[in-house]
Amino acid sequence: MKEANNNEVDLLLRSLARRGSSAMSNASSVGNGGGVSDHLDADELNSYAEGVLPVAARARYSAHLADCDDCRRLVVSLNQVAGATTQHATPEKVGANFWQKLAGLFSLPVIRFAVPALMLTAVIGVGLLVFWQQRGRNEVAQSQAPANSSSPSPAFGDSGGTNNQEAPAVAAHNPSPSTSRIDELKTGGAGKNLVEEEKSRDAAAPLVGTELRTDNTPAKDGTPKEAAADSASGYRLEPRPASEPPPPPPAKAMGELAKANDDERAERPAKREDQNRQYEFKGAPNDERGPSRAAQQNNAVVQSAQNGRSGDSITTRSRGQSGLDKNKKTNEVDSRTVAGRRFVRDGDAWVDTAYDSSKTAIRVNRGSEQFRALVADEPAIRTIADQLSGVVIVVWQNRTYRIQ
Amino acid sequence: MNHSLEKLEKVIVEGAARLLSRASDNHGLKTDTLVPRIRSGVNKYILQDDPQAPREVVADFIDKLQADDLCLIIACEQGDQAAWSDLVERFSTTVRSAARSASSNEEGAEDLAQSIWAELHGLRVREDGKPAGKLAYYSGRGSLAGWLRAVVGQLAIDQHRKQSRLVQTEEDADFDRIIQQGQEETSWSGHGEALDPEAQISRKLAGAQLQKALAESVKRLTPEDRLLVKLYYFDGLRLREAGAVLGVHEATASRRLTRVHTELRDEVQRILVAEGWTKVETERAFSEFAFNLEADIEPMLAGESVLLDKKNEIAR
Repeated sequence: MKEANNNEVDLLLRSLARRGSSAMSNASSVGNGGGVSDHLDADELNSYAEGVLPVAARARYSAHLADCDDCRRLVVSLNQVAGATTQHATPEKVGANFWQKLAGLFSLPVIRFAVPALMLTAVIGVGLLVFWQQRGRNEVAQSQAPANSSSPSPAFGDSGGTNNQEAPAVAAHNPSPSTSRIDELKTGGAGKNLVEEEKSRDAAAPLVGTELRTDNTPAKDGTPKEAAADSASGYRLEPRPASEPPPPPPAKAMGELAKANDDERAERPAKREDQNRQYEFKGAPNDERGPSRAAQQNNAVVQSAQNGRSGDSITTRSRGQSGLDKNKKTNEVDSRTVAGRRFVRDGDAWVDTAYDSSKTAIRVNRGSEQFRALVADEPAIRTIADQLSGVVIVVWQNRTYRIQ
Repeated sequence: MNHSLEKLEKVIVEGAARLLSRASDNHGLKTDTLVPRIRSGVNKYILQDDPQAPREVVADFIDKLQADDLCLIIACEQGDQAAWSDLVERFSTTVRSAARSASSNEEGAEDLAQSIWAELHGLRVREDGKPAGKLAYYSGRGSLAGWLRAVVGQLAIDQHRKQSRLVQTEEDADFDRIIQQGQEETSWSGHGEALDPEAQISRKLAGAQLQKALAESVKRLTPEDRLLVKLYYFDGLRLREAGAVLGVHEATASRRLTRVHTELRDEVQRILVAEGWTKVETERAFSEFAFNLEADIEPMLAGESVLLDKKNEIAR
């Protein structure tokens, strides 16, 4: 209510000002014949505008200013100039404070604590960086261990043929098909599978087909393990300089694989054929930053390729590629699923996860009359025997068979 | 009486000595030369309002004078050419700037800046043989630069008045007619309403009475409050600017204005009741005229802008 009343007075005052100003201007034009003698002098005006008058004198001049437009306008303009001068001087003061504050930041009491704190932060930072790099290298080494151990795996290629029609099903049952492909390439036994799959171009899943083509690329150069590792890592492969020594000769299966891919080889540029190539990762900016070359040549090709990366690349990879890490962990377990049964590798043997060691296993030799009779009754066991090489312990209809 | 005058004189002489010692360049002035100027300032700003002002107040007043500026001006007045050259050299920029602000064109500003030095020095001669210039009126209370700006401003107003008296152009007469017409169109009648003639007359009379009472109430305000109302409503200053002139903060000015609104309303009611209105009638008059003014404010503003445009055209 009070605010509304004030608004009403405000509006009335505005109206009065509009009417009053013209009346006053008329009065001013008529009644100011005496010049400025009736007005405040320059000293009074300036003293008022600068606010340096005693209180009593100020009140006296306020009364005049309230009624005299000319003097009031002069005081207003002088006051604005004085205010501008004051505001102009203020930044200098602020600037001085700023420099004082800046100087205070580098004062001895501040530096005494700030320098040790900065050094401690730097040491912790460097330590963390080194730790991450070491951790990345360890992870790479751990992931390489099962791959190396699987390479001497016997006679996967001796399994006596592959059921091409079963391959998609195997891939479908396998929780990590790409891992199984990598394993197959690493062991060399899968090379035959790959060749046959490539030749037959059956109705495999598009993803599998893609993997096969990817996996075959290094086979053209006879470096399947390198290719497997590289395809798994997701990095693009590029030829290494010719000055570097060629990789060790691939396994026998890779010879077959290379032979099977003659048609694709023909399409490849001739200069690439002439070079003794190793593959390195595109992301590796400087090979000198990695571990020694001698160690690389003594190790497997995959390890060589991975060790060729810089520490930064390894770190990045170990942090950023969780999918790859998962694949490598799966390699460590080394399990497969065939015909709905899950098998775990135990040395040279594939053991059904449902196997109970307290039960006696029925020994069945591959190719024997007993084996043929068994697979005739249970075709799934034939599939298992075909897919898994070496000794296979399978539990089927509450009976345990040891196929060897 | 004589005793108190002697005491006061002693305070002034001591203050003059302190002022000379404070000045970085006293231009070879003596205490005796300064005392009349300081005495004049003390009389003007202190003793006129309080003839029995304590000595401490007088001493404080003297100690707050601008020592360097006052010595420079007094030296100029004494005919010190070096001081005069120093004055012109240091303050010619200030004078030119003030002249440009006070004058509507560059040529007029240059004339004004040139004439100011003659005004300061004085073309006439006093009884003591010294030039009767404006230098004699600087007390040293405010800054010399501010004082020079004020002198330039006053000189500009004087020149404008002389020109206005000499030339009352036909355009000015037209302008006055336009203002008068605009005011008649926008005064208290309300826009777009079809009132019967009797109601219109009654309303106009009531409005005129209300306006008269309000003007009378404004006059009865204290000088500081009246000055605030003039600065804010009549001169169109912002509250911050008005507060700066009054030497108070914007918030203080705002609070003071709110209080002034209440006081004005009460005073208007008192005047109207004394003239025979009832309290209810005054309340109704306030709300009714305020409502009409609110409705009229945009056409009024539009009319004002048209008037301003015409005024500017005439001025050109």
